Amino acid sequence: MPKQLISLTINGTPREVTVEPSWTLLETTREALNLTGPKEGCGTGDCGACSMIVDGRLVTSCLMLAPQANGRRVTTIEGLQTNGTLDPVQQAFIETGGLQCGFCIPGMIMAARDLLDRNDNPSPKEIRDGLAGNLCRCTGYTKIYEAVELAAQRIRGGD
Amino acid sequence: MRTFEYHAPQTIDDALRLLQAGESARPVAGGTDLVVQMKERATRFPYPETIVSLDRVSELRFIETGGDALRIGAGATMTDVAADSTVRAHYPALAEGAGVVGSLQTMNMATIGGNLCNAAPSADTAPSLLVYGADTVIIGPKGRRTLAIADFFRGPGLTALEPGELLAELRLSAQPASTGSIYQRNTPRKQMDIAVVGVAVALTLASDTIERARVALGAVAPTPVRATAAEAALMGQPATEETFARAAEAAATEDASPIDDVRASAAFRRHLVKVITSRLLVQAAARAKDNR
Amino acid sequence: MARETTIRPPTDANGHHAVGQRVTRLEGPAKVTGRTVYADDMKLPGMVHAKVLYAPYAHALIKSMDTAAAEALSGVHSVITAMDLPEYARNDSNRRNLIFPDKEVLFYGQPLAAVLAEDPHVAEEAVGLIDVAYEVLPAVIDPVAAIEPGSPLVREPLGDVDRSEERGHVSVQSEETEQTDDRPTNIASTAPFRRGDVDASFAAADVIVENTWRSSMTHQSYIEPHSTIASYDVSGELNVWTSTQAPFYIRDELAMAFGILENRIRVTATEVGGGFGGKIYLHELLTAALAIKVQRPVKYIMSRKDDMLAATPAPFAHIELKTGMKKDGTLTALQAKLIYDSGAFPGASVLAGCILIGGYYKCDNLDIMGYEVLTNKVSVGALRAPAAHNATFAIERHMDIMARELGLDPLEVRLKNAVEEGDPMPNGQPYPRIGLRECLEAAADSRLWRDRREIESKSNRGVGIAVGGWLGGLQPASAIAALNKDGTVNITVGSADITGTNTSFQQIAAEVLNLPLDRVNVTYGDTRTAPYAGMSAGSKTLYTVGRAVKLACEDMRDQMFDLAKQRLEAEPEDMELANGQVQIKGAPDRAMTFARLGYLSTNFGAPFPAVVGRGAITARKNAPGFTAQIADVEVDPDTGDVTLHGFTIAQDVGFAINPLSVEGQMQGGASQGIGLALWEEMLYDEEGRLLNPNLLDYRLPTSRDLPPIETIIVEVPSEEGPFGARIVGEPSIVAGIAAIGNAIENAVGARVTESPFTPERIVRTLGKL
Repeated sequence: MPKQLISLTINGTPREVTVEPSWTLLETTREALNLTGPKEGCGTGDCGACSMIVDGRLVTSCLMLAPQANGRRVTTIEGLQTNGTLDPVQQAFIETGGLQCGFCIPGMIMAARDLLDRNDNPSPKEIRDGLAGNLCRCTGYTKIYEAVELAAQRIRGGD
Repeated sequence: MRTFEYHAPQTIDDALRLLQAGESARPVAGGTDLVVQMKERATRFPYPETIVSLDRVSELRFIETGGDALRIGAGATMTDVAADSTVRAHYPALAEGAGVVGSLQTMNMATIGGNLCNAAPSADTAPSLLVYGADTVIIGPKGRRTLAIADFFRGPGLTALEPGELLAELRLSAQPASTGSIYQRNTPRKQMDIAVVGVAVALTLASDTIERARVALGAVAPTPVRATAAEAALMGQPATEETFARAAEAAATEDASPIDDVRASAAFRRHLVKVITSRLLVQAAARAKDNR
Repeated sequence: MARETTIRPPTDANGHHAVGQRVTRLEGPAKVTGRTVYADDMKLPGMVHAKVLYAPYAHALIKSMDTAAAEALSGVHSVITAMDLPEYARNDSNRRNLIFPDKEVLFYGQPLAAVLAEDPHVAEEAVGLIDVAYEVLPAVIDPVAAIEPGSPLVREPLGDVDRSEERGHVSVQSEETEQTDDRPTNIASTAPFRRGDVDASFAAADVIVENTWRSSMTHQSYIEPHSTIASYDVSGELNVWTSTQAPFYIRDELAMAFGILENRIRVTATEVGGGFGGKIYLHELLTAALAIKVQRPVKYIMSRKDDMLAATPAPFAHIELKTGMKKDGTLTALQAKLIYDSGAFPGASVLAGCILIGGYYKCDNLDIMGYEVLTNKVSVGALRAPAAHNATFAIERHMDIMARELGLDPLEVRLKNAVEEGDPMPNGQPYPRIGLRECLEAAADSRLWRDRREIESKSNRGVGIAVGGWLGGLQPASAIAALNKDGTVNITVGSADITGTNTSFQQIAAEVLNLPLDRVNVTYGDTRTAPYAGMSAGSKTLYTVGRAVKLACEDMRDQMFDLAKQRLEAEPEDMELANGQVQIKGAPDRAMTFARLGYLSTNFGAPFPAVVGRGAITARKNAPGFTAQIADVEVDPDTGDVTLHGFTIAQDVGFAINPLSVEGQMQGGASQGIGLALWEEMLYDEEGRLLNPNLLDYRLPTSRDLPPIETIIVEVPSEEGPFGARIVGEPSIVAGIAAIGNAIENAVGARVTESPFTPERIVRTLGKL
């Protein structure tokens, strides 16, 4: 079966990569592009650890075929820092203790970033609703809720 | 996942051409069902040799009001449908169904066409489309045809689509004035779950009499189904809790034919059909009064 | 959002500057940027991927296995069956000593063969081409039926059973007995505990409650599935990188299995993406065997389905409990029969269940009998305080039910009977100083408990309380503290960091050395570079390795005092560490800085020997941790839906070295207990096939399901732990099922006797189905 050449903009950088059509976007970023931040926790879209933002939409990259990302802008956890400075969401997760084993975190932070991109003043309920596609087994979410509140506050400029 | 040939046509015509290979070529939209099934080797058809991705077919992704009807392209995502102001105002049960499918990520990827073509008995958009009497527009090598949504589902994973055909759009006609509609499902978790039971209801009231009633059920039969016995128990009756209880009883005992599976027993599904239907009838009636 | 309270009785006048502070994780920046390296993120030159064939039957004989088609698939490196494995110390009695069976399949999902290929997809494809002929045998699925005389046998009788892994989780004087009867049965072990006269006490009791409680088989469900890479070459050195809590344990096991010297094996615990007791030693043996066989690095990553089928989940338990109480709330008699389903191999910690069911309350008359029963299911392992939640569910539901029948307050009844220092456990071992009473007092003072009347005045709302606890494991530990040239300090330990222990070690070192936190860094090394530590299990890492770190830093301090003696013209007893220097008490200008000492002990031609502190301990005293937890639920009596509105956990941690981490452990464990209470259940059909091997139908709580969890840290110092710290990680999971069960009964009157409390079970219990 023919491999395909796809081009995508990953974390702001245009890249070309040859893929098997059956590769998922997750495999492509991890294996071909060497971005191992996004994780595979289930492979079936049930845990959210592979979450990325593709053309402004939060997706589970374990279910997106690599060629479906052709021509699209993809942001992974590696793309959140700007000029060596952590994104406010990343910073907040550290400060509130919103991470433990860390395996869900690359997806969780993308989901939190996506939530705050849509709504920088989420209510506690909106935070809980907005993260429901991302399972965390370690924290019980409490400190993740606190991280998102703290990040939102800083993004709004109320630090 | 075993590999396959991959095509990403930009038009419906090109997609149809690519699908002429028959059973060995399959369309994929959001992939949230098909990719999982392919990974698990659990497709209801032979593992595809060719995948025709519909994600670039912009003709399929729209939500438009035309005359009296609403047209929804099969490529509209769950997020598109759930957020659309017309859908929310006039077809709230559909917005409610689209708004509970999987996670936000799932809803960003999954399309309404995919939800219907996957034909799970639990498909969350199906009961509402049944109560709204939606028509499907199917395009194939022989041209275009229209089929009532009630005739679209043929069994678990099975639809009326012939090989080489695509579901292109859904048409929803305007609902009568004084109609209230709602969809709710029951799941153990509050999100990230498959409906144990899904119920959609649309009631049209003339003063306090039920002029028109539509009830549809998900996850309690081989396909999403209209609850005709429940509807019969409602038609022409006063919109009272007694009427609703009778209709809910009919839905549970006559319309539902559930099975035991990993998510619930048949008996519990019947019980839930009764409870949820009866509650939703009350809420639909309240919405109908608001829509006067 | 959530309230976080610390109740710390004034201990000493010396304010700590590092321990007791809220410190962010050392690994935080790497984890939030995706730079942390987990096992699956690694690639080695020449590496091949392994995929495994899992048995499709729960019990069967393998008649033949044809691998020709799999081997012929383009891209396949090799197919390895039981016949092809390198020689290893196989013992079919222990899961961990058996790679592939060659004759009898004992559980659905048992590994039978592996395919190696450079492309994991090819390996996966080839697994499907292995053609096995089976003779299907009757599967024994129900452990309660399996102990009856005449039950079909699960397997050939057991031989030599190795219980070393269980002992890593809990250290307790054991009366456990292996089955010694000549007639083969499915009972792997029994644990009897008796004292007093239960019959007479029941006869004299004012209320007797008798129930059977069943709790489901559950899965640790770490988000990172099991992941291992192994490499072996002509040098005879075996290298393993694996997501494990127990690198030294794995090294020891692999050395025994293959007859390799322990110093020729290097096990590196890669960052663990969640373990919870489930990542001790599972397929490292398989991966190492494959690497030895093919002399290339082999990577084996379990899919989620593989992990659900063939890891080591937590046992189902069936517990028959009878308890008697006097009118004044005194617990007088307790009789229990505990049946734990161990699956096809021994490993269920029935002993721990027996100790806890009779170990929360003073009770003079006990008759406890535990059975560890084999069935044709995947064998079980530890899940955060293994076996504790099942037993606690039973006794803690009973305490509420008895209190209700006597018209007493459930919290007061618990306080009245709560065990204290000196009280005997069911095995007669006396408790050291413990904080069960203090946890109950803290819970009594919590917002949720004070507001419970008002909450329960709303319809279908209920507030429930339950206690939990865990004894903890004990193992020797060691640590090294090294002084760098610039005066900073490196701490090296051998314990995998699964809970933030490295950050706590940083705090301990900074406290002892009186340094700012950033002057101390912590590494956990591999089994060739790090000093020994026991497995990071049994809640013991901080309790044991933390002590070693403290000793290592004290040793370093003493070495620095000794080196400074001549130049400062003073004796060590007149010196102190402050301001980053060794200084004379009362004369801080007479000092040598850490940097000066570092320079003089590392530079070319330096006069002093390198400063390397050593800390090594053995731990013989448990520091049990107790908790009291309160749940606020709303139950829809028609649909059975449960909404959790609030949850509070009070836990005695001795001393919270890092309250931020401690709260995280409390909240995380509580959330797992809530998961076990409401959703989590591995469902098997009558043929022993797992029906929900995925995270869609094995339901972990989502954020929509969990409110913020309120924490109350209680600090009753332990005798030996660093700064009084005691075990932390495990007690938090233990009380959830019982607390929620009590809350549900308080809300709608449903006494649901089987967990999880699914909507269907609730509706059925209410008689509506």
